[in-house]
Amino acid sequence: MLVGNETDLPYDRPPLSKEILLGEEQPRGLMQRSHDAFAAQRIDLRLGTHIARLNATAAHVETQTGDLIPYDSLVIATGARARTLPLPIASDPRVLTLRSLADARALRGHLRLGLRLAVMGAGLIGLEVAAAAARQGCLVTVLELADRVMARCVPSRISARIESWHRAADVQLRLSCPVRDVRAERDCLRIATDTDDIEVDLLLVAIGAVPNTELAQETGVAVQDGILADECGRTSAPSIFAAGEVARILQPSGHYKRFETWQVAQYQPISVAHAICGVDKPYLDLPWHWTDQYKHNVQIIGDCGLGLEWLEREDAEGRLAALGVDPDGRLQAAILIDNGREVTPLRRLIMANRPIPRERLLDAALSFKQLHVA
Amino acid sequence: MAWHDVASVDEFEVDAPKVVQVGEVPIAVFQLDNGFFAISDVCTHEYARLSEGFCEDGKVECPLHQACFDIRTGKALDEPAEVDVATYPTRVDRGIVQVDL
Ligand SMILES: Cc1cc2nc3c(=O)[nH]c(=O)nc-3n(C[C@H](O)[C@H](O)[C@H](O)COP(=O)(O)OP(=O)(O)OC[C@H]3O[C@@H](n4cnc5c(N)ncnc54)[C@H](O)[C@@H]3O)c2cc1C
Ligand code: FES
Repeated sequence: MLVGNETDLPYDRPPLSKEILLGEEQPRGLMQRSHDAFAAQRIDLRLGTHIARLNATAAHVETQTGDLIPYDSLVIATGARARTLPLPIASDPRVLTLRSLADARALRGHLRLGLRLAVMGAGLIGLEVAAAAARQGCLVTVLELADRVMARCVPSRISARIESWHRAADVQLRLSCPVRDVRAERDCLRIATDTDDIEVDLLLVAIGAVPNTELAQETGVAVQDGILADECGRTSAPSIFAAGEVARILQPSGHYKRFETWQVAQYQPISVAHAICGVDKPYLDLPWHWTDQYKHNVQIIGDCGLGLEWLEREDAEGRLAALGVDPDGRLQAAILIDNGREVTPLRRLIMANRPIPRERLLDAALSFKQLHVA
Repeated sequence: MAWHDVASVDEFEVDAPKVVQVGEVPIAVFQLDNGFFAISDVCTHEYARLSEGFCEDGKVECPLHQACFDIRTGKALDEPAEVDVATYPTRVDRGIVQVDL
């Protein structure tokens, strides 16, 4: 049985901040399957059903309307929700967040030529919304606390490149710009920053996601910014598993990590399904995610954390590979711009985990595939 | 149906497809061990040109989100694509690779 509190048939989220906002009603990338497709797999799909409580001792969950659903194995795959603005104005109809298809359709309903839109947060979702809104003719201002965009997941030179795309589209980027207050006026929202006030028609708050861990927490399942899970998705409680973005997964390094990516939602549950059937199939995929902004595709593989030196290879057509090398000369991460062809060769080079001389990494005559074989 | 020229046999390199546009349809033609194979150049997930992707062992990966297709059968092998790409017959005529559409 698959229980979810949304009323839409299950879908992939990436198009929500891209094609949907550009006006496509049913983009192919939503991958929405029919009721029949679930029935054919003998999946009893219960939409619009919120699970209010979990009783691990009795091994059942309780829906909001009081129905009890017993289980032998329970997978908690509750994902995350958009972090909201910690101000009373968060409930104003002109202050939006983006997580669900319903949110995306609501946001799209507002976008029009000349709309003054502020986007708070220059992470992936904020920037994708800014790009889509600018293409729809909105006057977009992005407000970001850090001194550069996507500061959490790319090095500064890549941030600078992404910033240039937005500036070219007349998006106002206000970096190092904390939002002090937002006030409702009759015909606009007034956003106070340290230097001035900005008047806008609409504010999209894109300041991160909060994992939906409450069910687990209330039952005493170990939670720490995500439900703690081993490599196979087992939680601290027997018969309870955590899948996808809500899981904080044990890494080979011994640390736990939570991933906000399509990849973890697509592939980690395969390990969970194996574990339920008593088969160990650890989820060890190299982290990978992408963002599409304007005509550009950015792919990020590996862990771009601190302590890496970044080398760049770029060809005449502007296809870029930024290579994150650790102090031992091992490739740990890579960022590819409009260069998806190199994802697999670089993933293999990272997995090989051996030092590579920097002249070879930078030698444009050597393909990454050749480097791996060599 | 008609045969359209793609390129001469010796212009092909391993793992580097040639693209022909037939009317509205871009087609990517690959040389594999056992001959030439033609598939639609457009990924069935969103929109990307497969000819710009990584190819190896008879498979091509979409450059945008890494969906993977079998070049011989057009079959979608890995998410996020689930719909196969169209395939087209090929032949070699006096040293010229041709595709039928
Ligand atoms: C706008 C947007 C764009 C994105 N774009 C990209 C991208 O380009 N590339 C990329 O790699 N990743 C992208 N992501 C990230 C990726 O989509 C998510 O990481 C992925 O959706 C996580 O899947 P999940 O199934 O774990 O959780 P979710 O997709 O969040 O699904 C969890 C479901 O559980 C439901 N639920 C929660 N609590 C309960 C309850 N108590 N009872 C019943 N149901 C409940 C929720 O409503 C939701 O439907 C994007 C995310 C968003 C929001
Ligand atoms: S467009 Fe090909 S995988 Fe998404």
